[in-house]
Amino acid sequence: MPSNQTPTTPAGTYLSGRRTRILSLLGLSAALIVVIALATSIGSVHIPFSTTFGILLDRLPFVDIAQTWQSVIATIVLDIRLPRVVLAGLVGASLATAGATYQGLFRNPLADPYLIGVAQGASLGAVIGFLLPVAWNIAGFGLIPLLAFAGALLATATVYMLARVGKTLPVTTLILAGVALSALLGSIVSYLIISSGDKMHSIIFWLMGSFSLSQWSEIQVVLPYVAVGTAVIIILARLLNVMQLDEEQAQQLGVNVERQKIILLAAATLITAASVSFVGTIGFVGIIIPHAVRLIWGADHRFLLPLSVLTGAIFMILTDLVARTILSPTEIPIGVITAICGAPFFLYLLRRRKKAIF
Amino acid sequence: MKSTLKPVAFFLMAVLLLGLLVSCTTTPESTLPTEPEITPPTEPESTPPPPIEIIDQLGRTVTLETTDPQRIVSLAPSHTETLYALGLSDRLVAVTDYCNYPPEAEEKPSIGGFSTPNIEEVVAMDPDLILATNIHESEVIPQLEANGFTVVAVNPTTIDEVIESITLIGKVTGAEEAAASLVANMQSHIKAVTDKTGTLTEEEKPRALYIVWHEPLMAAGAGTLQDELIRTAGGINVAGELDRYATINLEVVIASNPQVMIAGSGHGSGGEMTFEYIQTDARLKDTDARQNGRVFSINSDLASRPTPRIVEALEQFARFIHPELFK
Repeated sequence: MPSNQTPTTPAGTYLSGRRTRILSLLGLSAALIVVIALATSIGSVHIPFSTTFGILLDRLPFVDIAQTWQSVIATIVLDIRLPRVVLAGLVGASLATAGATYQGLFRNPLADPYLIGVAQGASLGAVIGFLLPVAWNIAGFGLIPLLAFAGALLATATVYMLARVGKTLPVTTLILAGVALSALLGSIVSYLIISSGDKMHSIIFWLMGSFSLSQWSEIQVVLPYVAVGTAVIIILARLLNVMQLDEEQAQQLGVNVERQKIILLAAATLITAASVSFVGTIGFVGIIIPHAVRLIWGADHRFLLPLSVLTGAIFMILTDLVARTILSPTEIPIGVITAICGAPFFLYLLRRRKKAIF
Repeated sequence: MKSTLKPVAFFLMAVLLLGLLVSCTTTPESTLPTEPEITPPTEPESTPPPPIEIIDQLGRTVTLETTDPQRIVSLAPSHTETLYALGLSDRLVAVTDYCNYPPEAEEKPSIGGFSTPNIEEVVAMDPDLILATNIHESEVIPQLEANGFTVVAVNPTTIDEVIESITLIGKVTGAEEAAASLVANMQSHIKAVTDKTGTLTEEEKPRALYIVWHEPLMAAGAGTLQDELIRTAGGINVAGELDRYATINLEVVIASNPQVMIAGSGHGSGGEMTFEYIQTDARLKDTDARQNGRVFSINSDLASRPTPRIVEALEQFARFIHPELFK
């Protein structure tokens, strides 16, 4: 194996050489493009591949393809499937990246993007949105996404305030505060659901997560958060590597651990909150994808993070494809599929490795 | 609960709590042999009004101590509506939190939610008849019956079954005449619609879609009242492949190009949100329904509750789907 491994990379992870990982990054990027095209071609309504590709290529600059399709077909491909595929990709990338960040930050393999209150905060916000007798639309955010976003950020900020001891932020306190506040918010959500009467169904569906009505306008809102947040996290990847050492050691290496921790925490929370507020709390992706990536490519965050972005996006696009086509014309909540498809694969990886991970 | 219970019956009415204990200890098995000739449901032999047996809409055989109940508890909004329509409102002592029609029903004491009635509250009402539905089958009904209460379950899922349920409720409440005239009136309204829609050819039937909720997009499929309303009103339900209420792909909606879209309104506090969604989502703008301004909104209670008002819903569906036939 090459010599440029960080101290945290377990020796002997396969595909862990620098060149292999760079090739893997390129390969996954190509795979992502193929998956996007594939997922856009398949749906409840049968549209031939050639037509889909014609419609997609026609939208590229300098390409002009004679239109042989009805405008309804173009609407389905460009305004229903493509935004849905893109949003699924963004959300998958966000959750996987945030999961990898939290796991690195907390040095805890059980950490997921929802550990410190994002999911329950968003759920409470969304449920309140469902129960309010009004409907607004502010700056592209409908009422429910807006309240879910606010709820997620408020909950995480509260956890942060509660966990702070003087100028430091002990990880254990942060996790405990997150778990406790999540439990509190979760019980309020449960109470509101049982007293929500005939809206119960809609709320439960929202909480299980769905890309059902994805639109370009939603992507316009989500994309900036995801792009900036993910970029910040990837830039700070080396710091996550250092943090795998003892925090004291990291401090001695001249890293301002507390400040970096807060920046990473804020970025991961922001991308999670932006994703969750539009599509609901989709489970499993945020915890499993980073582990799968770590199993295959090793624990160096400089690769772990971008590889998680790509793997998360591909995984979510494919699971959403299954969710919307397998029982067509009806749909299955995405959270059901992420676990059904992902868990066996993850267990297979785990068995194949047959050694401690993380 | 056969004839050995007869002496207990008066006792049960007079002193409820004691009655509870007696009927708890009197298991059906122990009373079976005393009356071998039980096959015919009515036996006008003894002097006190004989208990009659009915089969309710869950297929359960229920023995009624009286067909003149004075204290009725309704465990479903639809039953409350039917009881009001039969002129039995003064005997209706309690309803659920969701019983909102007719408006005065909201002033009745409540025994809690629809799927989650508070058993203590029901018992405290000292009812001599409880009207339940299929969602109460596994827990609520056994618990109430174990405590000696008479529970009749009514669970209509089609227009015909709504009519049967009204006849049944009329029978168990001694309001048979009111039920008969209500049913006759409903049938004449239904006939007025089917007379015009029954002769339509498939080409003359517009493609229609009933949208229950927009986030996620859910439509009424086969086995729902809305599906039957669309078909009876002379339309084709483009979501007919779905099983009951289910999420539906937006691309399927667009590809099936519905000529009429009907939104359920008033879900709790959801108001007209679904209707507004259908009217504003740009991706639906090329559908015939949007192009021709044939997107409608109907009170979802009216369209989904199996009550006498279902004929009102049918007439509205008929006007939505065939405005040329129904002014």
